[in-house]
This record gives sequence, C-alpha cells and structure tokens, in this order.
Amino acid sequence: MSEPAPRGASPLAGLTVLIVEDETIISFLIEDMALELGAGEICHAAGVAEALAFLAERRPDTAIVDVNLGGELAYPVAERLAALGVPFVFATGYGRQGVSAGWDSHPVLQKPFPVETLAREMREVLAR
Amino acid sequence: MDNLAFRGRAASEPLVSLAMQRALQSWDGLIKSLPIGVYTCDREGVLVQYNRRAAELWGHAPIPGDTQFRFCGTYRAFKPDGTPLDPAEAPVAEVLRTGRPVRNREVVIERPDGQRLFILANVDPLLDEHGEILGGVNCFQDITALKEAEAAKAERERRTRELLEALPAAIYTTDASGRITFYNQAAIDLWGCRPEIGSSEWCGSWRLWWPDGTALPHDECPMAVALKQNRPVRGYEAVAERPDGTRVPFIPFPTPLRNEEGELIGAVNMLVDVSERKVAETRQRALVDELNHRVKNTLATVQSLAAQTIRGSDVPGGVREAFEARIVALSRAHDQLTRGAWESADLAAIADAVVAPFGDGTDRLSIKGPPVRLPPQSALTLAIVLHELATNAAKYGALSNSAGTVGLSWSVTANGAGPRLEIEWREVCGRAIGAPARKGFGTRLIERGIRQELKGAAEIAYDRTGLRCRIEIPVASTGT
Repeated sequence: MSEPAPRGASPLAGLTVLIVEDETIISFLIEDMALELGAGEICHAAGVAEALAFLAERRPDTAIVDVNLGGELAYPVAERLAALGVPFVFATGYGRQGVSAGWDSHPVLQKPFPVETLAREMREVLAR
Repeated sequence: MDNLAFRGRAASEPLVSLAMQRALQSWDGLIKSLPIGVYTCDREGVLVQYNRRAAELWGHAPIPGDTQFRFCGTYRAFKPDGTPLDPAEAPVAEVLRTGRPVRNREVVIERPDGQRLFILANVDPLLDEHGEILGGVNCFQDITALKEAEAAKAERERRTRELLEALPAAIYTTDASGRITFYNQAAIDLWGCRPEIGSSEWCGSWRLWWPDGTALPHDECPMAVALKQNRPVRGYEAVAERPDGTRVPFIPFPTPLRNEEGELIGAVNMLVDVSERKVAETRQRALVDELNHRVKNTLATVQSLAAQTIRGSDVPGGVREAFEARIVALSRAHDQLTRGAWESADLAAIADAVVAPFGDGTDRLSIKGPPVRLPPQSALTLAIVLHELATNAAKYGALSNSAGTVGLSWSVTANGAGPRLEIEWREVCGRAIGAPARKGFGTRLIERGIRQELKGAAEIAYDRTGLRCRIEIPVASTGT
C-alpha cells in the first residue's frame, strides 16, 4: 500500500462521528468502518433536513457525508459543518467530478472504498 | 494616311495600292465593309444614308428620305425594360436637340419579322463650319448575344441565391477582403441579427466566443483564417452570441472561392448549429454519471452485505479485506470506463489505479507501455487480473519482501491477424517460487478469462527468480 494503513491506529478514537447516508446498507458499512477506526459514538442522518436538525442540536467531532441523498444534494449540510468548524469528508459514487464547484478541493471518498482509505482521509481532515 | 503605310517596303512600291486608295476614297467602300451599323440623318431626323450592316440589323432597307422613318431605320423601338420608345426619346433625336454626343445608349429595336435586337447606340452630331447642327450619325451594334449571356448569368446567380436561401443551414459569403456579400435566412436566425452587406466583416454574428468562453475576435474567426490563409478551415467549434444575449454553439465550414485563374475572390461559410447535439451530449454525460453513481453504490452495498455476512461468522481474518480489495479494483476499472464514456479505457490508467497502490513509491514496481484503449470487457477483466497478480506478489511474491521487484510492461504488435497487445508481468524476488498446489482464483481467471473471454493467450511460469506471466490479446485499435 502506498500509505500502509496501521490497522492498530485509531484515527477516530473516542470521537463522535455523524454519518449522512441515505442508503441503509451502505450506512452499516461506514458505521462498521468508523467503529473499527475507534469511533466513540455514531450518529445517523439519511437526508439534508435530518442532518441539519441534528446539527442544530449537537456538534459532532467529524462527519462522513454522502453527496447525493436520494436526489437531494448535501451541500447545505457541508456548509453547516464548515460553519461549525467540523472537519468532514464527502463520500460519493460520482467521485471527484461529482462534487460541485466550491467544494471541489474538499476530500472525497470514491465509493466503494476500503477501510484504509477512510482512515487515511480521516487522519488528513482531522489534522487540518 | 501615313499610319497605313507599310514601313520597310522598297521605295519603288507605292505606299498604298490604287485599289486601296479607291476604297478609302469611296464612302461606300469603307462604311459598307464595317461590321457595325452606321447611318446619318438630317436635322429633321430623316434618313440620309446607311450601310449594309445597318440594313441587316433593321431587317429591311428603308428608302432614304422616306419621312415615315424618323431618327432611325426601324419601325418600332423600345427601352431596355421593354416599354415603347417614343421617337422623340431616340438617341439621334436627343443629339439633334442638344448638339451633344450620346454614348453607349441601349435600345431595343424590332425587325419586320418581329425579332427584337439589343442595340448599343453611339450618336454624334454633324456640324457645319459655324457649329450649326446639320444632322447626326449613329454607329450601332448588336449586343443581343452579350445581353442574353448577362441575363443567363444573372439567372444562374438568382438560382444559386434561391438555392442558398432555401437551405436550412446558415450560409453566407464574403469577398476576398472579408466583407459580407450575402447571407440567407438561416444565418439571420442563427446570428439573431442582419449584418450590413458590404461593410460587416468576417462573420455576421454579434459576438463570437470559443467553446471555453474566451472571446473570439471576428478577424481571428475560422472564416477570417480561411480567407487570410486561402485554405478551407475545418475542425473548429465556436459560439455565436445574439444581441439578445442567447448563445448558439456551431461548427463553421469556411471555404475559399477562387476564379478560373485560381485567384481568391471570396469565401463561403456554412454554420451548423450544434445546440441540440450539445444538449444530447450533456444528457448522455448525466446518464453515464448516474449509471456510474448507481454502479458504485451497488458495489458499496455488496461490500457492506459481505461485511455483514462475514461479521460474527468463523470466516478467517483477511477474507473481508481480500474481498473488499477485489471490489475496489473492479470499481477503479469502472472509473476509467466512465472517463471514456463506457466506450474504452486506457490501460496505463487502469494499471496506475489497480497496481500502483501496491508499490511503495520506489522503483521496485515499474509500469510502462504505450497508450492502448481497451473496450469495456477487456478493461474489466484485465483490471481484475492485474489486481490478482499484484495481490499475489504482495502476499507471496516479489512485494512480500523488501528486495524484490515487479515490472509490468506491454507493447502492441501487428501481425496478419491484426494488432495484438502483449502484457508481461515479471517478478524478481531472489528466490525460487514453486507453483501453488491448488489453482487459485487469479490463476483460473488468467487462464479462462484471457483465453476464452478475451480470445487471447496466457502463460504463467514460476521460475527460479520469481513469477512470470505473459498475456496476449487481440485489440481493435491503439492510441489515445
């Protein structure tokens, strides 16, 4: 691997992670990966309204945000997270070119991705 | 008469023969033989005399002094537009009235048999020594054939114009200096305006842009290039902006026009509106993006289902990771195909996406080969094959220790059966590797996938230095 993933390393150790993902089965996968990377608490939102409602109440330590939430684009969630200063990554089937202008330099996970890639991207955004 | 002399003749010979002198002295002799009609009238316009050609053109021989013919020897005359010519408006009448010559006046005369001729008249007054008008002399010639040729040319031009007008494609022409000389209705529709004939230059559009949105000055547009470089210009696309701000993407086809001598006399340009094609391309792009998104989410779903299935079971460790890695390799090949609109993918890009992550950034892993486009099926199969080879090297082969090297290279060779892609995977790990006791997925995939699915040949050898794999498959075309 270009950047060997230290399996033992826990970039999400003890952190509260918000997962914004409309497809339930995929949300299981991301949740399992986050837990494997040491996450302390996992919170879920399946749509923009639900995610914004959550963010009105709580401030997670980090977030993994699917760009396309059943036809609805997640940019309002991204803007809210940025305003709150919460580091996050996008996850999308479209890949880099599926992220619109304004966010095109933000880290993107191209689905499907292995846990090592999630670990690398999380370490990077959390270090910013 | 000096100018008629033949210089260099013997001095004994007369300068002009007697017969010639007689002919020259005789008015009839000279005038009769002229190929143009000549007649004179007195100051009342009554015919005095005329030559043979005049009678031929009139179609009869009027009697001089006959007062039924005034100013002319023909019964009826018309203006060029076909309306009757009043005798008082005849060129000779005008000269007798004004005393000034008339030059190159076009008149239509009718002969007794009804045939009409186009006549070009040149009339001069005959004056006495006091400058009083004695009469007039008209030299006239038949220009019917010339006029008919002119009319035929005008008719051809009119038909060409009608044809260009009727075409649904925007067409315009310019002269050699780029000034617009003609445009059709479709051009007005595309431009959204009517340029000034004779002063607008290069293109009749209000504003021009390159497809990337940068401004395109009119004097640098493809039509200007075609005229300035005197060559057809092809393969460009531009965008015309109408005065109302709407924009039309189009493909121009500017072509120089040359005369029979090959000199540039102008250019014709056809502008093909490609708006609909652009919309279709955008729609297709969106569809491919959506398909890719669906495929990626489905692969992620399969990855999740496998993880949920394995979790809590007694499947040995590493299985989930191996499965995930295969899914991701397949997904990376999909990325390359999406980039090529699902028509083809670049082999080097696939190798970079699938194999390069196994390297450590040093030259232990080298990937090299010419650009090769692979159709979707070959791309997907080769992606998995390369992934299996790389995984195997990482687990058991050259990449499982710190000293081994892997070289992935390919080339395209042409033989009678068409171009063939030859791929070589060569591991050097400094120790002999024996063939595995059981054929794994990778080996089976290479053997069956390459030989049967891709109609190629594959060979795996485990020699003293490490694993070697040679793959050969037919490819349709090469290059990017």
